[in-house]
Amino acid sequence: MITLKRFLLPAFAVIVGLAMIFPIYILLIGSLRSETHVFDLQLLPVEFAFDNFVQAIASTHLLRSILNSVFVSTTVTVVAMLFHAMSGYALARFQFPGKNLIFSWMLSTLMIPFAVIMLPLYLISKNFGMINTYSGLIIPAIFNAYGIFLFRQFYREFPKELEEAAYMEGLSLAGTFFRVALPLSMPIIAPLTIGFFLANWNSYIWPLINTQSEEMWVIQLQLANLIGGGYVTPWNVVLAAAVIAALPTFLLFFFMQKYLVEGIKMTGIK
Amino acid sequence: MTPTRKSARVMQERVTAYGFLLPNILGLMIFVFIPIVYAFYVSLHDWNALTPKVFVGFQNYVTLMTDSKWWHSVLRTLMYSVVYVPLLFCLALLSAVIVNALRGKTVGIVRTMFLLPFSITSVIAAIIAMFLLDPRSGLINQLLSFAGIGRQQFLGSPSQAIYCVIFTVLWINLGYNMTIFLSAIKEIPKDYYEAAHMDGATRFQSFRYLTFPLLRETNTFILIVTTIASFQVFDQIIVMTNGGPIDATEVSVLYIYKEAFQMLHMGYSSALAFVLFLIIFAFSMIQLKLVSSNK
Repeated sequence: MITLKRFLLPAFAVIVGLAMIFPIYILLIGSLRSETHVFDLQLLPVEFAFDNFVQAIASTHLLRSILNSVFVSTTVTVVAMLFHAMSGYALARFQFPGKNLIFSWMLSTLMIPFAVIMLPLYLISKNFGMINTYSGLIIPAIFNAYGIFLFRQFYREFPKELEEAAYMEGLSLAGTFFRVALPLSMPIIAPLTIGFFLANWNSYIWPLINTQSEEMWVIQLQLANLIGGGYVTPWNVVLAAAVIAALPTFLLFFFMQKYLVEGIKMTGIK
Repeated sequence: MTPTRKSARVMQERVTAYGFLLPNILGLMIFVFIPIVYAFYVSLHDWNALTPKVFVGFQNYVTLMTDSKWWHSVLRTLMYSVVYVPLLFCLALLSAVIVNALRGKTVGIVRTMFLLPFSITSVIAAIIAMFLLDPRSGLINQLLSFAGIGRQQFLGSPSQAIYCVIFTVLWINLGYNMTIFLSAIKEIPKDYYEAAHMDGATRFQSFRYLTFPLLRETNTFILIVTTIASFQVFDQIIVMTNGGPIDATEVSVLYIYKEAFQMLHMGYSSALAFVLFLIIFAFSMIQLKLVSSNK
């Protein structure tokens, strides 16, 4: 029993863990190989064909797509955080007619799956002239009742004293929120920001429906086109493009893992 | 506080509250709520997006009842869910129990390794899977032919393609679900296990009669969220197989997507979408009931 606990179990867990990251390792070393050796059964990086990365960047609008993704995901996340914090705060703190009705109605929108509204959303966006535009990629992605719900939970447990003091000092209720409550809300904003950013970075179906021209593509569409498009891109270039595309979220993962884990726990338990 | 100051406060609360809620009310109304109503409206019409809508009542719903392609896509979606959901659930729970039993630095390292695939996107995961599963020279086929098993078609095979997709999605989501289980396990008081140990319970018994029942809320949460998500599988499928080979992976959402955006059967596609909504709605109701009964 002692041996099991001290050696076998950790060894087993690490082996499974290595198997989990093995495909990502394959991606990395594959991206460093020339076209003829990309499938070689050799687990060490024997060559460093950095030319793959040059080709990936030169032959596609890769950087443009990454920039589009960064712009869209960041804007969606920042605006969503602000709107959701405001709504969550109003629902947690203020008394006003229709409060429960509004909250239940917001929660009910959680039951509507995206797949079911993709066509009407396309038609509505078309009416607003939002097809193949940044506003079309950004605005419909902002609203999410789950974010409002999580902010509401947070503010319900948030101490009132500071806000009351600020209000007594003559700050308006809105001013109290923006100057006192919001700056102290990092424990919820940090994990939700990571979660929202990752979800929007990963978003595929709405950009696929909304955008038509390559300049407007987000990175996921660009990558999908590299392997599914009409012409064949060599694997080494595809892998290099995928590595470049994975970099932003890898960095986010390694530096913000703590918040990512907190965000996952928050969505799972509450 | 004087009465006037108090009623001023009440007014200010109302105005501020409505102001704070307005952006989300408008947004959710225009981009979530109206679309579902609009979907139902369009589903009552025959419409190819080019000519005006023709009202046909429930004709589209009648048509879909006998559309074998639709029911096959529903069946495929269910098959996908039936394999994927239990597999993800069991593997995530098992990994969480194992990681929970680890001590020291190994915990962080193993958790990071499990969670790393979650940080790459569906499309990148699809690319890696397609590279590894390449029918001619992919790594897995090379290993299989070494082992004397022979090369497989994988994504090119009607019987194997769906499993390739399942494993890819599983790989991405395992760490996420494991993290949820793990944090729920950590909230179980330690003395429970000590008491069970005193009474001579084996490790398996304390899992079976302690951990598992105490995780009831998390279990239901993960099962239902995963099931609802699996009904909507799309990204990996459209990238890895686009529904092929010979429709073997054409799940419901993909069929709805193709009907809407490739066949331009707007009315019919909306009817299909609405039926899918009703199926998912039933599951969501169960979820909401369970979540609210926990409070």
